[in-house]
Amino acid sequence: MDECQSAIPAHDGDLHVVAAAHHIVKALGTTKNLSDDLRKILIDLDAHLSLITSNIDSKGGKGFVEVEERLKRVERKIVIWESDRIMIWDSGPKEVSDYLEAVDEVQTLIDSLRGLSMNENQKQKELLHRASSLLQMAMSRLEEELIHMLVKHKQQSEPTYMPSPSSQRNVVYNESVVSLDNESAKEASSKSSRSDECGEYIVDLVPEHVIPDIKSIAKVMFASDYGQEFCEAFIGVRKEALEQHFDILENGKLSIEDVLKMEWCSLSTEMNKWIWSMKIIFRVYLMSEKRLCDQVLGEFGSVNSFCFLEIAKTTILCLLNFGEAIAMGPQEPEKLLRLLDMYETLADLVLDIDALFSEDGGSFVRLEFHKLLEGLADSVKAAFNTFRVAVSSNVSLYPFPGGGVHPLSKYVMNYISMFPDYSSTLNLLLEDQHSDVASLVSEPQCGPTASLSTSCPMACHLRSITSSLESNLHKKSKLYKDEALQHIFLMNNLHYMVQKVKGSELRPFFGDEWIRKHNAKFQQHEMNYERVTWSSVVLLLKDDNPGSSSLSKSAFKEKCKGFSIAFEEVYKNQTSWCIPDPQLREDLRISTSLKVVHAYRTFLGRNPAHVDDKCIKHTVEDVEKLLLDLFEGSPRSLRNSRRMMKT
Amino acid sequence: MPATDYQASFLGRISIRRNQVIAMDGNHEQELQDLELFSKHVSERFAELLSSPDDVPFDALLSISWLRKLLDFFLCCEAEFKGILMMGNDPSQISKPPLDRLIPEFLDRSVKALDVCNAVTNGLESVRHYQKLAEIVVSALEQKPIGDGQSRRAKKALTSLISAMNVDDKECSAAKATERSWSFSRRGVSSKDRVPEHFRSVSNQVAKNWSAAKQIQAMTNNLVPPRGAEGSGLASPVYTMSVIMVFVMWALVAAIPCQERNGLSAIHFPAPKQLNWAQSIIGLHEKIGEEWKKKEKKGTAGLLDEMQKMEKLGNILMDFTDSFQFHGDITDQKAEEAAAHAAELAETCRRMEEGLLPLQMQIREVFHRIVKTRTELLNALDQVGKSSPPLL
Repeated sequence: MDECQSAIPAHDGDLHVVAAAHHIVKALGTTKNLSDDLRKILIDLDAHLSLITSNIDSKGGKGFVEVEERLKRVERKIVIWESDRIMIWDSGPKEVSDYLEAVDEVQTLIDSLRGLSMNENQKQKELLHRASSLLQMAMSRLEEELIHMLVKHKQQSEPTYMPSPSSQRNVVYNESVVSLDNESAKEASSKSSRSDECGEYIVDLVPEHVIPDIKSIAKVMFASDYGQEFCEAFIGVRKEALEQHFDILENGKLSIEDVLKMEWCSLSTEMNKWIWSMKIIFRVYLMSEKRLCDQVLGEFGSVNSFCFLEIAKTTILCLLNFGEAIAMGPQEPEKLLRLLDMYETLADLVLDIDALFSEDGGSFVRLEFHKLLEGLADSVKAAFNTFRVAVSSNVSLYPFPGGGVHPLSKYVMNYISMFPDYSSTLNLLLEDQHSDVASLVSEPQCGPTASLSTSCPMACHLRSITSSLESNLHKKSKLYKDEALQHIFLMNNLHYMVQKVKGSELRPFFGDEWIRKHNAKFQQHEMNYERVTWSSVVLLLKDDNPGSSSLSKSAFKEKCKGFSIAFEEVYKNQTSWCIPDPQLREDLRISTSLKVVHAYRTFLGRNPAHVDDKCIKHTVEDVEKLLLDLFEGSPRSLRNSRRMMKT
Repeated sequence: MPATDYQASFLGRISIRRNQVIAMDGNHEQELQDLELFSKHVSERFAELLSSPDDVPFDALLSISWLRKLLDFFLCCEAEFKGILMMGNDPSQISKPPLDRLIPEFLDRSVKALDVCNAVTNGLESVRHYQKLAEIVVSALEQKPIGDGQSRRAKKALTSLISAMNVDDKECSAAKATERSWSFSRRGVSSKDRVPEHFRSVSNQVAKNWSAAKQIQAMTNNLVPPRGAEGSGLASPVYTMSVIMVFVMWALVAAIPCQERNGLSAIHFPAPKQLNWAQSIIGLHEKIGEEWKKKEKKGTAGLLDEMQKMEKLGNILMDFTDSFQFHGDITDQKAEEAAAHAAELAETCRRMEEGLLPLQMQIREVFHRIVKTRTELLNALDQVGKSSPPLL
């Protein structure tokens, strides 16, 4: 502006030149098809020329007449709104552009007045003060307009595509060792969160058509050095809007103490909400907020990232703290799946978070979330280990009635059948503990020849868990006094495990070799059962002196009686036993039948002379029928059934 | 004093000790030495904090740099404490009386401290907001000559600043986040189609009934100096560290806007004066407590030195802008005074700009450290075979 100062002509002769230039500028300014920039230049030039004129005038005592005139004109334009209760931007485009022009003009006048040295010129000083006052009035007004605009156009409604968190899977393992029926396990295993991923849904937090208005205010406020006021007002409204959106997601405002004391059931719900909120807040709201900040403030240097951070920070801290509270809590086995969900959610978002907060000021946020991700990874590992420990250390004091499928088997198998959904994550997190476990599971699958799916860390961990389960089941089987029931129990449970593996995503991780081996195992128990229960019974029917054609009547009677007593004993016992799987039950009955009925029929056939109703308590057909009552889990005594059969 | 100095020498000591432990039989002696050294360091550090000169603005009591030093010392003490507790030759000690009771209580206190850390981190966001408003005041008054426009601009920002500080305080005690509106619209009328200008304030991160003062009060539960034979064992560092933790959290809450601080000055520290290391802490507690009582009557957003300065300068400059408005102009002398005050305010803003973010990061570091120690202690308890679940 010094050039401008030196350019002020010294004598009247030059005044004409200035006047001429002024006219040309004014004439040019009336041209309709001028670009904005050019028009601005002309306005500035116009102002300068007026000042030069007034400066020369002032020397002649006339003062800054023209400047004052112009100031008066814009003053009217600006002051008139002071008494008006209607917002300018609600009034119409003409009013808006008039107002903005007026503010521009004030700014131009101020710049020009400042450009002149303050040669103790009282008039100039006074005009500058008046202009500054006017500018303050306008800026204050614009701030108010901005807040009004932002509040009025805050998109209140939730975006419609957003499924509510309640539609998410909410089936949880609420107790640690419970039997779950397969249905609910199936339901729980459908990871719906995978399918309704919200992706990058950038929404208009403020309607598209309002953006240029906000920008126009930003532009003029920044040009007048009122950028700070703009930012504070903008941050204030947007921050509150984000917090409102966050409140709608129903995140409980929980302290760490609250979280650590929470019952698992409510905690699980909160964890679910967190997962949901993280996705919505980062993918939808923060992405959109970032875009809004860039749109509005992109032209003004780094303020956009500063404002974005200020807007986002408290909401982010809230999410962060819940995550921290979860990561530090005791890692009970039932938390494993939720923790995996949380881990996967954050792992999925972490790149977005890095991108959103890529500037220096955001390093704090980036760092904290990376730390949290590590913390959650540790929690997953810890929960996985406590799960493993729980599987092997679960102690029963009493034998499980009926020898059926133990709740622990159900719990473990249903639980791990959900792991394949998380296989890539689990493989990643269990990698470093891989070698320990691989050596524990001395199965060929873990060897170098195994296929990829059976040799991955998760597969080895899964097999180590089932082998812990197996040894625990062996321990539990020892609680039965009856050896036959021990075998039934193990047969049932091993069969259950095999079925679960075969019928689920677990299969590739266990491999055919495992299935074959375990089929053989439960079949072995099946055979052992038959041997333990029936060998002695069948032995009673055995011919003592092979060679002689038939027994004496008394010997026959004795054998018949012995068989009946033994059979009835078995019947009384084993009708209360349980084989839940119908196929397995059927198979066992058939093979028992083959063995026992066959022996009985042969025995009776060999002694046709003695066969009469008196000494034969049970006919072959009776035995065949009665065998069908075994393993139904409802104790019967033979006397009842006999009576029933007779009547 | 940088934290790393302490840590380096400390870690060095530990590694030497580890080797010694195997060779040496006189472990108990070593332990006694460690305990002595620990309380010596504690008393030295807090003595340094107590002797902070009030006249040097940089290190004044409860200034940002003072708080950072406090947190540094906390981290040092914490590292040393953990060393004593965990590196001991007999890890099973922590599961035996009296530690089997003291450690869970300590962990309980730790969790409460974490919530205080979060509340304070959140409160610092408000302080940042004050800083931004004060910066507007500075930008307005830095211009020369100061005219009506500048004065009005400053006044507007000052009004926001002063009411923000007051609202935060009231909100903190009333815990009621109503629609925060700045009642004065420019025309003094609030019409329906106009939105009141508004400003930000502490947003509640936790339930509305959460109270920082109660939280700290609860941290002092069961906090009694070890008696008799206990005094010479590990019970004493647990007690010392607990007192340090309570004090640090208490000081942070006194300094920085925080949810619900009624009764903060009434919190009693059960630290007997005859304990050498406790004297400086007691001294600091008394000093800050008196400050708090003075301010409590007037209402304050916090005792943070920079905030108090900001409040004082804010009020002076508010008077200045008022008189400017009234007289229409000012004398040169008044203008000079105002410029000096504005410069002082600018300096305060600069210190906030430099210090607030690092302070926030440091509180976060304290947070993570407490979490880490808690996890390690829980694991240690677990390994010792204590099957009963931790209190928290």
